[in-house]
Order: sequence, then C-alpha cells, then structure tokens
Amino acid sequence: MLDILTAVLVTGLTNGALYALATVGLSLIWGSMGMLNMAHGAMLALGGYITFTVVETLGLPLPVAMLAAVAAGALAGMLLYLGIVRSLLKSGGPGFETSVMIATVGIAIALQNALLLVYGGQPLRQPFAISGAVGVGAGVVPLLNIVIVAVAVAVMVAVSVLISRTRMGRAIRATAQNRDAALLMGVPVGRVYLQVLALSGGLAGICGVLVSSITQLTPGLGADPMLKAFIMCVVAGLGNLPGAIAAAFGLAIIEAAVQFGAGARWGFPVLLLLVIAILIWRPAGLFGRAQIRRM
Amino acid sequence: MTDASLPAAAPAPRRGIATDLAVGALLLALAIAAPFLIDSRYVLGQIVLALFWASVAAQWNLLFGYAGVFSLAQMAIFAVGGYATAMLAQYLELSIWAAIPLGALIAVVFSVIVGLACLRLQGVYVALLTLAIAQVLYLLIVTDTACFRMEGTSCRQFTGGATGFARFGDFGMRQLLRGDWMMGNYAIVLCGFVLTMVMSWVIIRSPMGLAFKALRDNPAYAVARGVNRFHTQLLVFALSAFFTGLTGGLYAAHFQAIGPGLFSLSQLLFVIAIAVVGGVGTFWGPVVGAIVLMLADEFMREAGEFRTLGLGLIIAAVTVLLPRGLVGKAADLFRRRP
Repeated sequence: MLDILTAVLVTGLTNGALYALATVGLSLIWGSMGMLNMAHGAMLALGGYITFTVVETLGLPLPVAMLAAVAAGALAGMLLYLGIVRSLLKSGGPGFETSVMIATVGIAIALQNALLLVYGGQPLRQPFAISGAVGVGAGVVPLLNIVIVAVAVAVMVAVSVLISRTRMGRAIRATAQNRDAALLMGVPVGRVYLQVLALSGGLAGICGVLVSSITQLTPGLGADPMLKAFIMCVVAGLGNLPGAIAAAFGLAIIEAAVQFGAGARWGFPVLLLLVIAILIWRPAGLFGRAQIRRM
Repeated sequence: MTDASLPAAAPAPRRGIATDLAVGALLLALAIAAPFLIDSRYVLGQIVLALFWASVAAQWNLLFGYAGVFSLAQMAIFAVGGYATAMLAQYLELSIWAAIPLGALIAVVFSVIVGLACLRLQGVYVALLTLAIAQVLYLLIVTDTACFRMEGTSCRQFTGGATGFARFGDFGMRQLLRGDWMMGNYAIVLCGFVLTMVMSWVIIRSPMGLAFKALRDNPAYAVARGVNRFHTQLLVFALSAFFTGLTGGLYAAHFQAIGPGLFSLSQLLFVIAIAVVGGVGTFWGPVVGAIVLMLADEFMREAGEFRTLGLGLIIAAVTVLLPRGLVGKAADLFRRRP
C-alpha cells in the first residue's frame, strides 16, 4: 500500500512540476497580453532538441546545452512577437484573442514539422539523464525525478523573484493590470510584450528538456504537456500564476492516482471530467474572479 | 443600423441575396459541369474531398464566424458522425442510407453533451475545453484494446481501435455505374454539400442568425436585449453538428473507411485554415478557402515533406496579412469604390 502511495506521489509530483513549469509560461503570456500561445508545445520540443544537438553533436557539457535550450526558446518567443503578435495586436482589437490563437497554431505545426524534417520521426534519447535512486521510507525514488522537481522549483522561484522584485517585473505586472494606464505612465508596452514572450519561450525551452528526459525526444513531445497545462490554467483561472501552480500539482497527483488505480488510459479523461465539473461550478476557474464586462 | 461608424457588417440585405444567388448559381453550374469536363478519376476524387472539407469548414464558420463559438471539436463531431455511420452499418447491418442520417443525429447528441459542458464558458475557455475533449476521445479510441467481438481470427474493438473501420458498405454506385462510380459518389456528395450550404444560408438569414451575430458582435448587449446566450449557442452548436455529422457519414460511406486519424490536430488545422484563408464570417469564405487550399496542397505535393510546414506558414501569414480572409479582402475592395 505504502509503496503504491510513494509511486503515485513521485509520478504526481514530477508531472506536477513539469505541468507547473508549462503553465507558468502560458499563464505569463495570457495574464499580460491576453494571448494563448498554441506554439508553446512546439517550443518545448525545440528546447529538448537543442539540448540534444548541443550535447551529442557539439559535445559540450549539459549545463551549456540547457542554457542553449533557454536561449533558443527565448529567441523563438521574440521572433513570434516580432513576426506575428506585434502586427496582430496592431490590427486586432476584439478579434486578437482568436486570431493569435489560430496564427500560433499555424506556427506550431510549422515548427513541429521543421523539427521532424531535421531530426526525423524516430524517438531520440535525451542526454539529460541521471541514473540511480534514493530509498525513501518504503519505496524508491529515482534521482532523475528529484532533480526534475528541484530544477522546476528553482526556475519557478527565479521567475517569481523576477516578477515581484525587479524593474522589468514591475513593468510586466503594470502592463498586465492595465495596459493603457501603463502606457501612459511611460512603460514601453511593446518591449514588455517582447520580454514576456522571451521569458515564456525560455521557460518552454527548459521545460522541454525536463519533459523529454522522462519520456523521449519526439517532435510532438510538447503537445500533451501543453494541453494539460492549458487545462490547469483554465481550472485555476487564466492568468493566475500561483493558482495555476497549485492546480498543476493537485491535478497531476489526481491523474497519477487514477492512472495507478484504473489504468493509464483513464488518467486524462478523468482529469477532464473533473475540470469540466469544476468549471460548471465556478465558470471563472477555482481562483479566478468573475469578470466584470463593460459595454 | 444607420450609424455610419458601425463596421459594415450587414450590407443592404436585398443586394446580398442577389449576389449570393448569382455566386451560388455560378458555382453550382461549374460543379455540375465538372464531372463531364474532367476525365481523371483522381481529380474528381480530389474535388469530392474538397467538397467534404468545404462543408465542414462552412459549419465551423457558422459556429465561429457567425455565432462566435470558438469550438475546436469540429473534427471530433465530424468523426463522431462518420464513426456512428460506420458502426451502425457494421454492427446493426443497417443500410448506409439509414446509417448516415442516424449518424448525424448521434453527432447532434454528442455535440449537445459537449455544449452543455463547455458553452457556459466563453471565448478561449471553450476552445481549450473542446480541444481537450476531442483529444480525450482520440486517446480513448486509440488505446481501446478490449475485444468486442471476433471476426474470423482477428478481434475487433468496439470503437475500431487504432485501425478504425473499413468495408461496412458504400453508396452502391460501384454496382450501379461500374467504371463511372466516382461520378455517382460525386453527385451524392455534391447534393449533401448543397444541402448543408443552403441550410446554413437560411439559418444565417433567419432571425435566429441575427441572434447569433448579435451574440458575436456584442455579447453583453445581446443578452441585455433578451437573447439567451447559452440556449442560442447550444442551438447553433447542435445545428452545425447535424450537418457536420452528416458530412462525416458521407465521408465514411465514400471512402468505405474511417479511422482515428480524423481527430488529429493537423486535420482540424486544415479545416480551420480553409475558413481562415477564405474569410471567417463570410458566407463564401469556406468554399473559396477549400478551393485555394486544395490547389495549394496539390502544388505542394511536389514539395513532398514540406507540405505540412508550408500549410502552417500559410495559416500564420494569412492571419497576419489578411485578417478577414480572401473573401473579406475582396469585399473591402468592392466597398471602397465610391
């Protein structure tokens, strides 16, 4: 009994950390600019493959490779802003929410396909792999899972410090609260958006390395964590960072429990039913406040 | 209506009807002439495929472009219609002609369940939940390994599993027309397509359509004027699901096969791209989009593996450069002229 509990907790906490990292990236963008980035999953895959290339082809050490993944993700985020988001924001208005979603779906497909063309479809092994395990109580916890949780938590702490303590973070929060007021106070909103997308892309890069370390490297590796991260953002109320992290851990543990209890294929369906039930009960999400609509 | 600052969403209705009738008659004449002008069975088959996708995109356009429901379950509803048709023909040995309308009704039931769960929410929340539901359905079908019944030595899963269904019956045109069977199938699919287009036109022009558009343009105002958002959107969801499911049934019968690949994101993307390229919220947009994208797809076939890449880039570029699609752009050009 106790070993099952340990296994559920280990899987749940590891997946929770990964989902949380993905939700932070998504939630940041949604909170500050009302944009759903459907290319986030493809950026996860990009980070994973960049690490693979830097370690396997260039032969550089792993920390350098992870930095490269972050840089590649950040660069992809910036290109996304300069190429697509900026002009959509300019022409958009009320249709921005949907048009940016459709455009980023297009980018996601293109990026995923580009990875497929470069690296091929067969799964590759992520060099970020740590063997060994630690005995905890009745069960055994693989070292890799501990490292994943530790890295994810460290990254999230760094992001929260960045958001709450720095000048850049203050500008991001100001823009998120009221775009026009921030603009009038002299906040360069365009640059803030660029920074947010770069930050979120960097998070996607590192998240992709971690995700591919417990699964495998495939061009579509980001799709599943992204979809679940979206669901968790929705449950928490889109744009609510601490809520999204809490929802990610909570739902991941429930998912792991269902997978152990009823078989792997029921994990996601049960998760979704739970989410729908929560949303019928609280349409703005668990921690979201009901929107006040002005006419 | 007289306020000149309002976007020209509704041009003088009578002129719109005349234009729509003229365009419709022209397209229909072309479509009827096509099988007599085209010799190649391959080309005719591709036109049938384009009709399917145009039809699904038109239903998605009704949902999103007119009623403002951003659903990503469109291909799932299409697949449910197709699967229901296939399963009814396979397990109950119904004639395909009975199975198709029943399949469409099952798609409606499915859509109402999805709608009850999702439509209380708004905008992107609806998009994310419908996408998740479609993915869950796909996962449940693909991972289905439990034997439902034995067929010969092989075991068939209730949902068809990863392989799907095949050889459950067709339109019967192969016996009737022999070598020209594709022409017969083309005629049937064209009839289905015309039916769905006429019905969506009637829906859009009816008072119901006005309620849809009001909810899209200003939800708060529409609700204040007594339009029930949830009921109206559930209604349009079910209506579009009927025709989407019907198209799914025709698809299954035409190909005599159906599989879980229909749930894939790239398939959904192709349908959305058709509507986006043609022009979301314009009646002829999906038809124009289907023609343009099927042609582009045909040309990119030469480029082989770069097809999907190109498609993705086209969608992103069109959203940025032509926010109202080809038809919207053309309409703007005509309207600017004094």
